[in-house]
Amino acid sequence: MTVRADHIHVAYGQYQALQDVSLGAAPGEVTAIVGPNGSGKSTLLGAMTASLPYTGRVALNGRDITTLKPWELAAERAVLPQASRLAFPFTVLEVVRIGLQAGTAGDRPEVPMQALARVGLSSYAGRNFQDLSGGEAQRVMLARVLAQVWHPVEDGQPRWLLLDEPVSSLDIAHQLQVMQIARDFAQGGGGVIAVMHDLNLTALYADRVAVLCAGQCLAFGSPPEVLTDDTLSRAYGCTLRVSAPPPAGVPFILPHAATA
Amino acid sequence: MAAISDIAPSPTDRLGRARALHWALTAALLLTAVISLQVGATDVTLSAMLGKLAQGEPLTQMEHVVLWDIRLPRLVMGLLVGAALAVSGAAMQGLFRNPLADPGIVGVGAGAGLGAILAIVLGALLPAWLIDLTGNHLTPVAAFLGGWGSTLLLYRVSTRHGRTSVATMLLAGIALGALAGALSGILVYIADDRQLRDLTFWGLGSLAGASWAKVLTAGPMILLAVLTSLTLGRGLNGLALGEATAAHIGIDVQRMKSIAILAVAAATGAAVAVSGGIGFVGIVVPHLLRLASGPDHRPLILNSALLGAILLVLADVIARVVIAPAELPIGIVTAVLGAPVFLWILLKRRGLVEL
Repeated sequence: MTVRADHIHVAYGQYQALQDVSLGAAPGEVTAIVGPNGSGKSTLLGAMTASLPYTGRVALNGRDITTLKPWELAAERAVLPQASRLAFPFTVLEVVRIGLQAGTAGDRPEVPMQALARVGLSSYAGRNFQDLSGGEAQRVMLARVLAQVWHPVEDGQPRWLLLDEPVSSLDIAHQLQVMQIARDFAQGGGGVIAVMHDLNLTALYADRVAVLCAGQCLAFGSPPEVLTDDTLSRAYGCTLRVSAPPPAGVPFILPHAATA
Repeated sequence: MAAISDIAPSPTDRLGRARALHWALTAALLLTAVISLQVGATDVTLSAMLGKLAQGEPLTQMEHVVLWDIRLPRLVMGLLVGAALAVSGAAMQGLFRNPLADPGIVGVGAGAGLGAILAIVLGALLPAWLIDLTGNHLTPVAAFLGGWGSTLLLYRVSTRHGRTSVATMLLAGIALGALAGALSGILVYIADDRQLRDLTFWGLGSLAGASWAKVLTAGPMILLAVLTSLTLGRGLNGLALGEATAAHIGIDVQRMKSIAILAVAAATGAAVAVSGGIGFVGIVVPHLLRLASGPDHRPLILNSALLGAILLVLADVIARVVIAPAELPIGIVTAVLGAPVFLWILLKRRGLVEL
């Protein structure tokens, strides 16, 4: 029971955004996709969520996603987009309820408030979503996604969170909070696939990391295997040194040192 | 409403309020219907007639005609057209993800009007079997096809990668309206005198031609469109989060959009075919309801049908009494009442409408 993407190709017109990328994600793990801008991270997630045309095969819990109805997919996996604009003035709670109705916990009206509590926004339930800051909106959307797959395992099947840069507009405390939510979901038996920009958070929270570069998968493995000087320098096109402290006197703040 | 608050305990239970509105609006609708039957150009009143009936007296010929052949079909047509206009507005706003979309404003009404005028002026040129097949329904069907084509074209032009540009939508609507208007103008030139009389009421919109025949012509199409729209609530809610997210929460987006476009075209086409261009109901009604009970489309569509019916029948009462025994075209009344509200919406949303 996994999410598998095999030999994925995606083209935008003449431009090959992804070339023969394969990736497997296991339940109980956080699988991160990293890489420089334009390397195809979000495109890969887009193919895995059937949001854009691709060739290759994507299987969710063993079934090809092109054979599943939209509501069957929605019952097994939830997708957090990079940014969300809302067309109408829904309240925060109404937005989270839309997520609840998409999943299989639709008969549990207490879930939306619990999901909001999980992202630390209980007091925001009645606020207009359109008035929120970017970071608050992102956390509300995470609550919506959590409400959709509230139980990480259901009927013995793992359920999946697919997150596109879930911490991109968050401060460091909320970055840690959101990554911990992803971690907990995986520990509960579900699977998490996240597109990540922050390599330190990736090193801290991911079980497996795929490094994309120019539409191809450069490396795939555990953080110590993948996050190496050589791989990262090649991927990002600049000389990088892993675990090298900065010159004395320059402050640096790593999420690793944070305590609640 | 106790049951509903049990289901959704929350700081802002707008869904409960919206469902309570179903009942309040239904009551208001009945009251409006009574007012509409009560007043008119003649002295005949509903209360007097009911009094007579209660005492077992027969109605005069005049009373019978006023009630059964004039006021009642006019009331029913007002209810149908009002519901159609408001529901097509609400559905179109959901579809275009924009509270300013309205069939009347973005040229769909003009496209439907062109279809209707085509049917009136050139309908006789159709093969006889087709005329026999469509009968009285030729004009509304042509209006539906005109509205459908306009909606499809408008959606194609203004939507890229699941995002609808408001500016493109409004500008395309102006072009579409101008084109449909010009083509309609050409048809008016080649129309004969009898056809011209049929056409004159189109420009302003009126319920004056109401008859049971017209009710039977437009009614089924409007009822079908409204009932279909009632099933779109969850899909339109999802679409409010964006097309990709709508798909991710389990909505068959392409199918839902096709159904919404068909429903909008059918409701607009049928309404335009029997009453001409009546503006602003489709934009004002859903907007007021969103202010009152939130944007959730599941209760919004039904409430729009009810409030649209109420407002149009009230506007018709105004149109009939202000300069009695003559009457104003109802389109003038809805424009005088609705256009300022539209401007007020723009003023309130300034800065939020991303052009």
